[in-house]
Amino acid sequence: MKPLRFFQSNRSLYIILIAIIILMAILNPTRFFTVGNFISMSYQIPIIAFLSFGSMIAFLTGGINLAIISTTNFTGIITILTLRAISGQATYEASVSSSIIALSVGFIAALSIGALCGFLIGYLEIPAFLVTLGIGTLLNGVNIVITKGYTISGFPPFILDIGNGLLWGIPIPFLIFIVASVLLSFLLTKTVFGISLYLVGSNAVAARFSNINIRSVYIRQYMLSSLFAALTSFVMMGQLNSVKANYAESYLLVSVLACFLGGVDPFGGFGKTGGMVLSIIILQLVSTGVNLLRLDPYLTQAMWGLIILLLLGTNYIRSSIREKKRLSAVLQEAKSNPSATNSASLL
Amino acid sequence: MFRKILRQNEAYVFLLILALSIVIGMRNPSFFSFENITGFLKSYSMIGIMSVGTLFVLILGGTDVSFTAIAQVVEYAVVVLIMKFGGNIFVAFFEAAILGIVLGLINGLVIHKFRVPIIIVTIATFNIYFGMLYVITKGKLINNIPQMFKDFGNILLFPQKSAIGGTYGLSLMPLIWLAALILGWIILRKTMIGRGIFAVGGNEIAAERIGIDTFAIKLFVFGFVGFLAGIAGVVHVAIVQSVVPNIIVGKELEVIAAVVIGGASIFGGRGTIFGTFLGVLLFAMLNNGLTLLRISSYWYSVTIGAIILIAITVSAYQRLQRAKTNVKVQIQE
Repeated sequence: MKPLRFFQSNRSLYIILIAIIILMAILNPTRFFTVGNFISMSYQIPIIAFLSFGSMIAFLTGGINLAIISTTNFTGIITILTLRAISGQATYEASVSSSIIALSVGFIAALSIGALCGFLIGYLEIPAFLVTLGIGTLLNGVNIVITKGYTISGFPPFILDIGNGLLWGIPIPFLIFIVASVLLSFLLTKTVFGISLYLVGSNAVAARFSNINIRSVYIRQYMLSSLFAALTSFVMMGQLNSVKANYAESYLLVSVLACFLGGVDPFGGFGKTGGMVLSIIILQLVSTGVNLLRLDPYLTQAMWGLIILLLLGTNYIRSSIREKKRLSAVLQEAKSNPSATNSASLL
Repeated sequence: MFRKILRQNEAYVFLLILALSIVIGMRNPSFFSFENITGFLKSYSMIGIMSVGTLFVLILGGTDVSFTAIAQVVEYAVVVLIMKFGGNIFVAFFEAAILGIVLGLINGLVIHKFRVPIIIVTIATFNIYFGMLYVITKGKLINNIPQMFKDFGNILLFPQKSAIGGTYGLSLMPLIWLAALILGWIILRKTMIGRGIFAVGGNEIAAERIGIDTFAIKLFVFGFVGFLAGIAGVVHVAIVQSVVPNIIVGKELEVIAAVVIGGASIFGGRGTIFGTFLGVLLFAMLNNGLTLLRISSYWYSVTIGAIILIAITVSAYQRLQRAKTNVKVQIQE
């Protein structure tokens, strides 16, 4: 029963997914259906997925996290600075233990940023858009000031493995992605915190009167969102072997786009991890397809935008057909039984 | 009276600008020179022009992020058109306006017909416009832009000789910014369209019930945003005198921040042209002040972020205080 419901709630996403796979099968079957292609896709999916999860968590209460990219870069910069402080300039030779310490410091830095955002949103009741715009701009500035705009590179093998390594033949970042998706899905659907996120998103006042401490929900929410920024940063450090103040800047809007494609309501209250995973796979398939056909990489961006517009269009047509059916049914009933129906049922 | 002024956001931004100019001016008197003031006004003209459009969308109750992509596309297209078919600066502005309005109207149409949040639609169209620009042009720079753009950018009113031999004066670009501000003010304050924009931003359903054509209002706003973005694109090419296809894109959050600092509410229905002007002026002065104080421009983002945070915290604190005084309930038995 349950898998069927999952399929139904994400029906348009499955249709898009199948359409893209069929399109790829027709256009370029020899290169698309290869193990190498899927391996390379599984290296690319985690970065966009973690950023999109971070955005989605903010959207669940009707907020937005515009600081997610600068949090990501901040985490990376703090990590390499800690690494330098521990093991000197030769950061690429740092030991496993100092790598773990550096990663934890970066992780804590990201969580504190999230806690600060959540505090301003929850306790001072400032709209999330403004808080994260301010924090994001400030943090981006801090990143630029610390790095002076340069790229800092040289990570030890332990950190490089997070982005590039293989475990049982599967890329480690992809394994992290699978574990993170399952855990996030569990957290959102099976724990008190997850349920309260949806409740606050549907109706914050009602949530407060049902004894939910919405302030602490906001703080934990933005910490969770920043946690995914930190994960993004770990994978990016491993894959790029460097940090910079303006890495991945264009992904901010893409992560919002992925949320919308994945069925997350930007006004809060709705959105599931399953839909997000599908939407991310779709976005990645488009990008891979464009690459395999040797088209301009910027075509990917245009295609992503077009997919959103197509989805909006089909949703609109579907809902207006449903509306028409409902109206005609009501009218029919009114004709056959004029006394029993009143005008209120029309509305 | 005085209290009422202090309660407005503009007053704080104005005081901040005043304080900042005194500090910068004391450390470096050349801040107040005609050359410096006209210089920073010119370099922020493009952002200033686009900020008027952003204000309109914020009043309508949403956030547009596609205007930088529109400005970018229009800038490129107009330069290519002029190179192919020729024409003077008026032709260029005309082409920019038409193209910008068309791209903006597409936004408005989709937003109203599909009933989806403005930010989602504009992110989608941003990706389409900017992506297609790169696909079609292959990201090529244009360095040899037609001479008439350079001539237009170099026109100076009240020209003066500077000490090191160059000339300086008031460029036309800040005047175009001023024209955009005045046009925006007239539309918002003196026309029925303006009343309609505020009404839709305040409560769309109520606006529809009292007979405002919300579709027409939205089309107008997004057409106007596109129009201003197009004009801003031509202004930009006249200032930098070359076309780099990704230089305007990425400034959208800075423009939105300037308008928000100027007191516009992100929930719609509130915002003024004067506040928007002050917001952009503050950013322009900060950028210029850092240079004059010999502070690295790396600090620009930090100061802007700090100002946004302080501004929103102060106004949130005031709101909470006011809410506290309002809920004093007296119970008589």
